[in-house]
Amino acid sequence: MSMVSQLCYLQMESILRHLYVMNPTEFAKANCEGDDVFLCEYEYDVHWHSFKRLAEIDNSEEDDRKAGSDEDWDLCKDSGSDSELEYDEKNVKGSLPRKSPAHELAANSRKGHIFGLQKIGAKKIPEHVRCHKPTEIERAKAVLLLSSLPKSLPCRNKEMEEITSFIKGAICEDQCLGRCLYIHGVPGTGKTMSVLGVMRSLRAEVDAGSIKPYCFVEINGLKLASPENVYRVVYEALSGHRVSWKKALHLLNERFSDGNRTGKEDNQPCILLIDELDLLVTRNQSVLYNILDWPTKPQSKLVVIGIANTMDLPEKLLPRISSRMGIQRLCFGPYNYQQLQEIISSRLKGIDAFEKQAIEFASRKVAAISGDARRALEICRRAAELTDYRLKKSSSHPDSAASAKAIIGMADVEAAIQEMFQAPHIQVMKNCSKLSKIFLVAMVHELHKTGMAETTFEELATTVSRLCTSNKEEFPGWDMLLKVGCKLGECRVILCEAGAKHRLQKLQLNFPSDDVTFALKDSSETPWLTKYL
Amino acid sequence: MGGESPAEKALILLRSRLCNPTYILKQFSDSPDSNYSKLKFTLSNSITDACNNSILLLGPRGCGKNAVLELVLSDLQVEHPDLISVIRLNGLLHSDDNCALKEIARQLCVEHQLSFSKMASSDDNSHFMIAMLRECGLAHKTIIFVLDEFDLFTQGKQRLLYSLLDALQSVTSQAVLIGVSCRLDADQLLEKRVRSRFSHRKLLFLPPSNVYLLRLMGDILSLPTDSSLPYEYAIAYNAKLQNILGDPRFTEIINKLSNADSSLDHFVRFLFRAVCYMDLDSGFLFIENFKTALLSIQRQPKLESLKDCSVLELYILVCMRRLEVKEQKSYNFNSIMKEYKGIHDSFQTSDFYAQNICLRAFEHLIKRDLICFTDNRGQSQSVKFRPVKLLLSSHELFQGLKSNSSCPAILQKLIDRES
Repeated sequence: MSMVSQLCYLQMESILRHLYVMNPTEFAKANCEGDDVFLCEYEYDVHWHSFKRLAEIDNSEEDDRKAGSDEDWDLCKDSGSDSELEYDEKNVKGSLPRKSPAHELAANSRKGHIFGLQKIGAKKIPEHVRCHKPTEIERAKAVLLLSSLPKSLPCRNKEMEEITSFIKGAICEDQCLGRCLYIHGVPGTGKTMSVLGVMRSLRAEVDAGSIKPYCFVEINGLKLASPENVYRVVYEALSGHRVSWKKALHLLNERFSDGNRTGKEDNQPCILLIDELDLLVTRNQSVLYNILDWPTKPQSKLVVIGIANTMDLPEKLLPRISSRMGIQRLCFGPYNYQQLQEIISSRLKGIDAFEKQAIEFASRKVAAISGDARRALEICRRAAELTDYRLKKSSSHPDSAASAKAIIGMADVEAAIQEMFQAPHIQVMKNCSKLSKIFLVAMVHELHKTGMAETTFEELATTVSRLCTSNKEEFPGWDMLLKVGCKLGECRVILCEAGAKHRLQKLQLNFPSDDVTFALKDSSETPWLTKYL
Repeated sequence: MGGESPAEKALILLRSRLCNPTYILKQFSDSPDSNYSKLKFTLSNSITDACNNSILLLGPRGCGKNAVLELVLSDLQVEHPDLISVIRLNGLLHSDDNCALKEIARQLCVEHQLSFSKMASSDDNSHFMIAMLRECGLAHKTIIFVLDEFDLFTQGKQRLLYSLLDALQSVTSQAVLIGVSCRLDADQLLEKRVRSRFSHRKLLFLPPSNVYLLRLMGDILSLPTDSSLPYEYAIAYNAKLQNILGDPRFTEIINKLSNADSSLDHFVRFLFRAVCYMDLDSGFLFIENFKTALLSIQRQPKLESLKDCSVLELYILVCMRRLEVKEQKSYNFNSIMKEYKGIHDSFQTSDFYAQNICLRAFEHLIKRDLICFTDNRGQSQSVKFRPVKLLLSSHELFQGLKSNSSCPAILQKLIDRES
C-alpha cells in the first residue's frame, strides 16, 4: 500500500477519454485501450532535473507500436517534491538495444530498485517499539551508539573552523580557486564527522541564502571496487549519468581542465571529499594525480578534501602529487582523556546513568592506549549493557535480597574493558585438554633448553615422551600428539606448519612463555607440570 | 515403521539426538553465565532497541559456537516472528568481496521474495544492500549477518568488512554482524580502520569439564519413560546406564578420551560410535561398547600403515633410516638401492628384488605419506633422482616393525642396533 503524500490540482478544459500509462512490457500486451495509448519510456529524475531512458524494448515491438499524436503531455513538475519520480511520455523513434527483461526487474539491479523495495515494510509497528518506555540505562545505551549523531561535535571546534574557512575561501569568491586540503589522523579522531558537520552548516547557509550553492560529492576509497572507479562515481554524482570509467575520465577532463560546461548547474563549484585517500594510490599513481591536478586548472572550480590516516602520505608519493596535496594539511590528533570525557558526557547530557568516575576511568584508559573516540564510546556502551544484563537477570529472581543499583559504576567499566580487550589465549590454555597442556609445557622446556623459539615435531615428541615416562603419565602415541599440536595451531596458540609434514613439522609458541607459565602453573590435574615451568 | 523392536526404536532415538546439536546444548543453556544467555541478550537488545553490534564468537573447533548461535537464532525467530532476516556467509566460499556481495544480495532477495539478477555488478549489489538495510531499519526489521570462518574474510583489503561495519554505523540501519572463528587472534587480523569500527564484543567458547560431560551423557543417553518405548525396558536400560556411569572403568575411558581432546564435538562423536555398537538383541549399552568406540576413535594411522606394509617396503624404510643415521644429508632412490644391495651382500638375505619392483614399492610409500620428497622443485626429474626424506621417526619405525607380522628378523636387528 503506498502512501500518497501530496495532492495536485490541475485545471482542464474537457475530458476526452481514459488515458493509460504503461511500461514497455504492458504496452506490448496492450490491445484494446484505444488510439491514445502512449508509451512511457523515460523517467524524470527530480534530483538531476533530467530525463533518463527507463526501459529497453524489443526490436519486434517496434513495428507494432502506433505513433500517437505529437503532443507531449506534461505533468505538473513540482520541483519542491522530494522523492516521487514523475513520468513523462514521449513518442518512440529509432531502434533500441535488446536487454533481457529479467535483469531490469531484479531488485538488485540498478534500475530495479523501484520494483522491489516497497515490498519491505512492517504491517504494524512492533509493540516493543510502540509501548516501551526506555529506562535511563537504555537511553544511555541509545545515545552512546556510534550511529547516533551527536547534536554538536565537542573538542573539534578549532579544526572545524579551519575547514570552514578553507572551503569558504575557495568557493565564496567570484573567481573560485581550486584547492586541496589533506586531513590526517589515526582512526576514531573525528575527521569525517567534522567535515560532514561543516558541510551541514554550510548547507544551512545555502538554504538561508547567505552563500551561493555548490555541489558536494562524498567518496570513500575503501568502498570502491577499484581505484579507477572513482572517475565513474564522481561523474555520476555530478551529472546523474552512468558511464564507463574511461569515458568518465574523459568527460571529467573536459569539464575540469578544458572548462566545458553544459547545463546551468555545472557552473557551481564542486567540493569533493575523498575518505580513505590512501586506497586510491595505484602503481603509477595516475588516479591520484588526475584528481589532484584538476583543482590547479584555472576553470575547474574544484575543491578536494582528502582524508587518510598517515601523516606522511604526501611524502610517500611522487613529488608532483605531494606538491599539490601537501600544501595545506590539517592534523587531527588523538584525543586526550579530558576530551574523551567531554565527548562522552556531552552525549549523556540529561541522562543520569553513569557515575562520573566511571566515565573518567574509561577515558583515561582509552587515552593511554589510542585516543580513539569510538573505543571510548564502545566501552561505556558495553558497561551499560553489562549493568542492564545484571539488573534484568537479578530482577527475574524475586528472592534477590539486595536491591540492584541502576547506575553504571567503575566496576562495570572495568569488567567491560577486561571483556573487550583481554586476550583470550590464557583462558583457552587453562581449559585445554591434559595432553595439550603437556604439549605446551614441553614447548616451553625446549625453548629454555635450546634457546631457540622454533622446534621440530620430532624433538618435541621425544621431550613429551620423556616427560610422560618420568611422571608416570601414559604416552598417547605420536599420531595423537600430532593431532593435538595441529589443534593448538589452528587456534594460533602455537604456530605450526601443516600436519602432513609429520616429524619434520616446525612449531613455535605464539605467545611469550611467561603466559604459558602463568596459565599452567597450578593446574589441578597435572601438578607435576609446574616444576618444568 | 511398526515392525521395529524396542531396541531399534531406542537406537534411532539416541542417534537422532546425538546428531542434533541444538538438542545437546538445550539442556545447559539456562544459566545466566552461559554463552547462550549472553548472546541472546545482546541480540535481543539489537532487535528491540536498534543497538547495532558486531560480535565475535571465538574458541577451539568443536566447542559449540555455531550450535549455540543457531539455538539463539531459532529461539529469537520464535519470540519475534518476521522481525529478523539472517544472512549467512562462509569465509571458505565468499572471501572474495564481489562474490560475498552477490551472495548477500541473493539471500536478501530470497528472504524478502524479490527477484534476483546474477548480472548485477558489485556496485549495484552494494547499493542494494545499503538500500535494504535502510528499508529494513525503517520497518523495524533486523538483519543479522553471520560470517563463518571470519578470519578468512580478513584477507585482502577487507572491503566487505569495512562496508558492513560502516553500514552498521548509519542511523537508519538495524543490523548485527556475528563473526565465528576458531582463531583466537581473529580481531587482531582486522585492519586498523576496520578495527576502529568493530565493537569488540567477544564471546569465548571453551571445552567443557569432565563433570559436565558425564552429566550431559546421562541426560542424552537416558531413554524417556513416557514415550512409545515399553516402560520396563526403558527403566531397565536407564538403570544399566547409571551403573555404567558409576563404574570406575568407565571414568577411566572418559579420562583417556578427554585427555587428548576435550571438545564437545569429539565427545558427541564418541557417544555416537558407542551407541552404534549397541547390542540389538538385548537393547542395552555395555561398557565394552564404550571401550570399542574409544579404540576406533583413537587410531594410530601411521602404525596401522606400517602393519600393512610389504616386506620390500619395510626394507626400503630401514635403508632410509640407516642412511639418515650415517648422516647423509640428502639421499635419493639410487642411494637407497645401494644401501639395499649392501645389506643383501652383508647378510645374504633372501629378499632381493629387481630395481623396477623396488621402484614400485618406493612409489607406494610416497603415496602413503610415509616418505616424501624434500622439495617440490624437481618435478621434471625422474623419481629416481629426487631427494627424499623419511616421515617416520626411529621410534615409530621400530614399533611398526615389531607389530608387522611378516617383518623379517634381520630388519629388527638392524634397527635395534642404533636405538
